[in-house]
Amino acid sequence: MSGVLLQNIVKAYGAAQVVHGINLTVQEKEFVVLVGPSGCGKSTTLRMIAGLEEITEGQLSIYGKVVNRIAPKDRDVAMVFQNYALYPHLNVADNMAFGLRIRKMPKPEIKQQIKNVAEILELTDYLERRPADLSGGQRQRVAMGRAIVRHPKVFLFDEPLSNLDAKLRTQMRAEIRRLHNRLGVTSIYVTHDQVEAMTLADRIVVMNDGRIEQVGTPMELFMNPANIFVAGFLGSPPMNQMPGTVTEKGVEIDGIIIAVSGNLSAQVGRKVIVGIRPEHVSLQKEKGTTALPINLDLVEPLGSEALLHAQFGAHQLVFKTETQGSIDHLSDVSEVYVHASMVKLFDAETGEALPL
Amino acid sequence: MSNNDTVYINQKSFKEKLVWLLDHFKREWQIYVMLAPMIIWFLVFLYKPMYGLQIAFKDYSIFRGIEASPWVGLEHFNDLFSNSQFLRAIKNTFLISFYSLIFGFPVPILLALMFNEIINAVFKRSAQTIVYLPHFISTVIIAGIVITAFSPSAGIVNTVLSWFGLDSVYFLTKAEWFRPIFIGSGIWQEAGFSSIIFLAAIAGVNPSLYESAVVDGASRWQMMWKITLPSILPTIIIMLIIRIGNLMEVGFELIILLYQPATYETADVINTYIYRQGLQSGQYDLAAAAGFFNAVVAFVLVMAANSISKRFSRTSLW
Amino acid sequence: MQNWNLYSRGDKLFVRINAVLIGLFALSTLYPFIYIASVSFSSAFAARAGKVVLTPIDVTLSAYAHVLSEPQFWNSYGNTFIYTIGGTLTSLLIIIPGAYALSRPQLIGRRFWNLMIAFTMWFHAGMIPFWLNMRDLGLLDSMIGIIIAFACNAFNIILLRNFFESIPQSFEEAARMDGANEFQVLWKVFVPLSKPAIATITLFCVVARWNGFFWAMILLTDEGKVPLQVYLRQTIADLSDDEEFSSTLIDAAYSVETVTAAIIVCSIIPVLCFYPFIQKYFNKGIMLGGVKE
Repeated sequence: MSGVLLQNIVKAYGAAQVVHGINLTVQEKEFVVLVGPSGCGKSTTLRMIAGLEEITEGQLSIYGKVVNRIAPKDRDVAMVFQNYALYPHLNVADNMAFGLRIRKMPKPEIKQQIKNVAEILELTDYLERRPADLSGGQRQRVAMGRAIVRHPKVFLFDEPLSNLDAKLRTQMRAEIRRLHNRLGVTSIYVTHDQVEAMTLADRIVVMNDGRIEQVGTPMELFMNPANIFVAGFLGSPPMNQMPGTVTEKGVEIDGIIIAVSGNLSAQVGRKVIVGIRPEHVSLQKEKGTTALPINLDLVEPLGSEALLHAQFGAHQLVFKTETQGSIDHLSDVSEVYVHASMVKLFDAETGEALPL
Repeated sequence: MSNNDTVYINQKSFKEKLVWLLDHFKREWQIYVMLAPMIIWFLVFLYKPMYGLQIAFKDYSIFRGIEASPWVGLEHFNDLFSNSQFLRAIKNTFLISFYSLIFGFPVPILLALMFNEIINAVFKRSAQTIVYLPHFISTVIIAGIVITAFSPSAGIVNTVLSWFGLDSVYFLTKAEWFRPIFIGSGIWQEAGFSSIIFLAAIAGVNPSLYESAVVDGASRWQMMWKITLPSILPTIIIMLIIRIGNLMEVGFELIILLYQPATYETADVINTYIYRQGLQSGQYDLAAAAGFFNAVVAFVLVMAANSISKRFSRTSLW
Repeated sequence: MQNWNLYSRGDKLFVRINAVLIGLFALSTLYPFIYIASVSFSSAFAARAGKVVLTPIDVTLSAYAHVLSEPQFWNSYGNTFIYTIGGTLTSLLIIIPGAYALSRPQLIGRRFWNLMIAFTMWFHAGMIPFWLNMRDLGLLDSMIGIIIAFACNAFNIILLRNFFESIPQSFEEAARMDGANEFQVLWKVFVPLSKPAIATITLFCVVARWNGFFWAMILLTDEGKVPLQVYLRQTIADLSDDEEFSSTLIDAAYSVETVTAAIIVCSIIPVLCFYPFIQKYFNKGIMLGGVKE
């Protein structure tokens, strides 16, 4: 049985359609991340699953039950909000107990639940505090605790880490994933941060403009993006893109032919966008690589790695390379090498990846 | 759940609309239960009298009731505008408002500017506590204090006059003294409290403006006039527009308590005129016509003020 | 702002002069209260002769003895408490749920309802139709009438509605997902979150009720139902009528002046007791409703 099933889900505000019929199956116990730029419809989709937005058309099922017209409270889902929505007038324990009390759970049971969850989240010492007296990370944990105590079938996360600073975000990210591994509850997580998406997800759903662009595991999406949008959205710095033409031997960019793996014969003469990830070049010539002559104009050391900003013909490209403790040797780089299997081709008009 | 609901209805057939509507009420009936008492209250106590306002155009008698009374067109308005008392009341309304504005409006601004320069927090808070206090005092008490203080024999004002060898004056029977006393007591009662809104505006001024002025060597006096005052100018203008919009609202309750036939000349305003004609003499239709006139003028003024302030500041008042 | 020691001499002088002026203004605001209190504790003769300036002359409690021995004083005092408490509770009971409903995006006709309420701030039928309506409703000379008929006003409703609207939507959504219905959302989340706004409108209601006299004077004929302010007004009317016959009471231990002053003092005392508690709220409260972005 699927955990959450979206069939042709449409959301419209009056004449303006913001979600254009999406289909998605979230498996039981799966952690799925919806990612995309702001306004892509990911939050709206999540809120439709939560029951906070009406579904204009289509069918939504949670654990096999159609829930289109079921109130949020009866869907057996819990949500962690971007701003946490912790009740400032209640202490941590009461915040977590709020939903249980409304559901008339017996008092001793509530107490036990809160005790358990507080232990899991290391909040035991903070149960008497008000949200205002907590740090950002603790508030975040309380927000999750409030979702966990209810033992819902599905967790929904709406950009839960976006209010935290970078360091805490990394820490909480790992905590959320560990929690999921431990509790194994079906989770749907919305973020605009591709690093969060990559690190947390069993599967990533990339959304753009109210549509799903691609669904797959993080590595699938990284290595084989289905189109230019996904290629550009995932990865940091983003994939280098240059216009080119397919030839018998490879792809031609400004007179230079780059070897591409796969069978190109059917595509010869086609206008394409050539995509090369910054990480996918090396400074050593190896078998199966093509040399790209470049004019280096800037080296940015990041520590263990460095970014090379360079001109390749008329194109400004970025490459990522290891520093090996020093960047001195990088200053006179004039060629980089790219392996044929790492060159991605996308149709110049549709942006779809070429089947090679 | 945004404003999509209504738009969404339009796209659907009648039957679908109905289903949607029933579904909506089934889900959301509680908020309508919450809304209902308030709406009923407004209908019964504020909108039903508006329906009753038609007596301004009727020859109303208590026994016939509102509906059965015959229409007389603008007869009451003709009577009113040929009545010197009513014309006097209009004149007094505008004059009292105008003088209150001229003398009363700058005081709270000045107070706010001065409060802002107070450094000792305890002193500042105590002074504020005191000047806000009269706002919370009933009109009747204000009248009581005024009458006691200005009493010819017992009042402190005449006592002070006698120190300078001046004859005692029975102020409250002197038409020429009514407006200064009325406006003065209004300032005493409201100036402090009205300064709150300007103080709030001052609190919103970016502190770095002052810091850079200090670095530039500005004195406190210069900062008050060159930074604080210009920064709260939008608030001042909005408050001024609101005041002008409320020109018709003269504190007639205090006037009723303070005026007497001897001072009608300068004290009688539209609302006190309505009170006397309608509630004291039982000329309901005539008084309702005067009230209608008053309400329409007030409405036009408020609407004008609101649209001006919207244009001025892109800030709607309500 | 800056440290005092860093002020220039001119600035120090300016700040001091300013403080003196504010002090004088505060004192002159306070003076009428002191004056009235002094009159209330003075002898009838001293008050009549205009001898009271700052402190009581020939201190006596006879004015208070007279006031406190009047059954009508106690009766109207009690009535004022009934009107204040009953009226404020009625107001809150209608306004809080109503303003909450108006703040909900899913309310059908929300714009219409809001306009219907705001319109009453701009246009009102006036004194006469209101009075006739009260008569038609059978609410003349009725305590219930006074309590109900002045329960709402648009300003308080809009103030509270704006506050409710400023509460992030996620609070309601979280509560809804936790299983709360609208009443629970309002009572358990919005009301506790809106304490400053509710305190502010409570303050406005209490003050309006405590001080209200005009309609009580018009609508109530039975002396047993009038509030303190109407009773006080009666005394004040006697006071101004009495000027011509000022000698009549000259021998009594109390005079109209001292008695009026004593009633004023009695009437202000509850305000003074209440005042410190509300003070922290009204700075905020004024801004809440006032100007909306």
